[in-house]
Amino acid sequence: MLLAPSDSEAEVIVPEPSTEEFRPKMNATAVDVYYGDTHAVKKVDLPILEGDVTALIGPSGCGKSTLLRCFNRMNDAIAACRVEGEITLEGRSIFDAEIDVVELRARVGMVFQKPNPFPKSVYDNVAYGPRIHGIARKGPEMDAIVASSLERAGLWQEVKDRLQESGTALSGGQQQRLCIARAIAVDPEVILMDEPCSALDPIATAKIEELICELRGRFAIAIVTHNMQQAARVSQRTAFFHLGELVEYGRTEDIFTNPVQERTRDYITGRYG
Amino acid sequence: MITFALSMLLLATGASFVLGRRRVLAMVERPVDLQSLPGYYGWYTALWCLVPGFVVVLGWMGSAPWLLEGATLNASGIDLASRSEAEISLFMNNVKNLASGSIPSLPDDPALLAAAERYIELRGRGAAIASGFVALFAAAGFSYAFRRLRPNLAARNDVERVLRLTLMACSTLAVVITFGIVFSLLAETLQFFNRVSPIEFLFGTHWSPQTALRVDQVGSSGSFGAVPIFTGTLLITAIAMLVAVPIGLLSAIYMGFYASRRVRAVAKPLLEVLAGVPTVVYGFFAALAVGPVLRDVGSAIGLSVASESALAAGLIMGVMIIPFVSSLSDDAIAAVPDAMRNGSLGLGATESETIRSVILPAALPGIVNAFLLAASRAIGETMIVVMAAGLAANLTANPLEAVTTVTVQIVTLLTGDQEFDSAKTLSAFALGLVLFFVTLCLNLIALAVVRRFREEYE
Repeated sequence: MLLAPSDSEAEVIVPEPSTEEFRPKMNATAVDVYYGDTHAVKKVDLPILEGDVTALIGPSGCGKSTLLRCFNRMNDAIAACRVEGEITLEGRSIFDAEIDVVELRARVGMVFQKPNPFPKSVYDNVAYGPRIHGIARKGPEMDAIVASSLERAGLWQEVKDRLQESGTALSGGQQQRLCIARAIAVDPEVILMDEPCSALDPIATAKIEELICELRGRFAIAIVTHNMQQAARVSQRTAFFHLGELVEYGRTEDIFTNPVQERTRDYITGRYG
Repeated sequence: MITFALSMLLLATGASFVLGRRRVLAMVERPVDLQSLPGYYGWYTALWCLVPGFVVVLGWMGSAPWLLEGATLNASGIDLASRSEAEISLFMNNVKNLASGSIPSLPDDPALLAAAERYIELRGRGAAIASGFVALFAAAGFSYAFRRLRPNLAARNDVERVLRLTLMACSTLAVVITFGIVFSLLAETLQFFNRVSPIEFLFGTHWSPQTALRVDQVGSSGSFGAVPIFTGTLLITAIAMLVAVPIGLLSAIYMGFYASRRVRAVAKPLLEVLAGVPTVVYGFFAALAVGPVLRDVGSAIGLSVASESALAAGLIMGVMIIPFVSSLSDDAIAAVPDAMRNGSLGLGATESETIRSVILPAALPGIVNAFLLAASRAIGETMIVVMAAGLAANLTANPLEAVTTVTVQIVTLLTGDQEFDSAKTLSAFALGLVLFFVTLCLNLIALAVVRRFREEYE
């Protein structure tokens, strides 16, 4: 694409499906989301690639978090919210009557903006998911799941002696890694992260970013972030949203060094946002 | 007279506000040059006028009865030393009755008539003097404040200080009244324990408070073992909680999580209407509708149910406290951050798993608090049990029999004409004190539970 196409409102850059790396784990096609009368997400096509980190960036209110929540149907809980279009997981529609939302959320985990550990012990926080999905109940089997999940979330060394303390007693960064461990414990295929570092200090943020890089490859990860350096550091693919539209999608290095759309360039260079 | 002085004082206060505000505004070019907002200078002047005057009014109202009585008695020429305290008190009562226009018991006594006239005269004069002092103090306060007004006077700080003291006084008053109630109960209770030993009262199992009027009557001494009454109270409270806790909590969960907004908007107020039904209405519903039905159902299946039973009273009392449980539990559940719920749903938990494993544990302190408050309400409830539970002090755990409660006994012991020197009447105060103590303990436990677990999620 040597010639930049005109920056028209309706134009959306769809990735070429021919490339070798293009392995969509999840795929959104022509997704519209309405909050009452507000059209929050407009005809968006977006793949989430297996083994890669996909960053969703854009100014506040551009619909990126709303779209993210569609991938595990968290918007179902909001009465005024209506989702149209198609989203698939491994080729099957997640709106299919045969797909149970409980099973979907076990396969597509979520980490929220604010760390939200349950008011239970560290151990019980991690064991919560495996318990409700019947993966393990207690004993050495559960111990192993808890230990490995905390290990993979990079928290084991810090909390191995405090497993019975309340999860809410940890620091903010530790709480967020506990939430990631909690999501990992049910062994999901996709992890959705909604601005996971926005409530954390720079050091805790760096740890989470490091963790995301380590988790990459094992899971398909989609992350919403306001921090463009963060998107550049952790993601392989970036999608830029503006006013509910997907303006541009592509390899992260292309988006950040050579964006096609003028709006993307303006946002990345800090002209607005 | 004093009423007139008070209304004049309030008028003067209003005028001081206007004058103070106007004066300080005249001192500066722009209102922003003042240290405080102009209104504060008005309040400053007004308070300096109101408070001294009001203190005088309070002082007069507090001391007037003593002063007037003393002066009247001295002037009446009665030989105080030769008369007993009761006689003097009777005489003074007659004087006051005569002065207020009611008919005394001895209308023809010339000394009495003279004293009453003297009393009226003294009262008028005293009020006039007091009113004069009110005006004097109010004027002094006003002129002091008025002369101190400067643009840089920290009027706001002074007004805020007065406000803080007022608030403090109000909360102190509530505490003082609570203590006052306890002490008044305590005094009578001690008198009761002079006649009946606390051991017998707290551990005796026979309650029959009728004491003989004549020496030769049977059952002369009465029997004050309160255990049957306490167990009756506990039994009825337990039945009420068995009804109210599940229904209240489950309806709170339904309202909070499953009900659509429209259902909630209609059902929640309707549920809370239950709290507004007068307890006496619940009472006759229990006694006239529920009791007989229970008796008939019981006899149909071969159980003997008293027509006034603990079950009937407990069931209806349970219905009465449902709104307490559901409303307070609903608040506790709604206070759990949405992030908890989302976190659990996001892990693939169902709504009911989320409620059971995350929301209820997080809301537990509030829910326990709701239960305890509902329980103390049930323990203190009177009308329903008076009408539906009977009066027989049976020591039983069988909910189909008639039992009686602490509140019912207090009502029966204290209604009608009573002699205040018999153990029978005094025992009501001991029961009241125990009741007060138990509900106080429940409330304290509720407070402690809430405080202990409050910071669990933040």
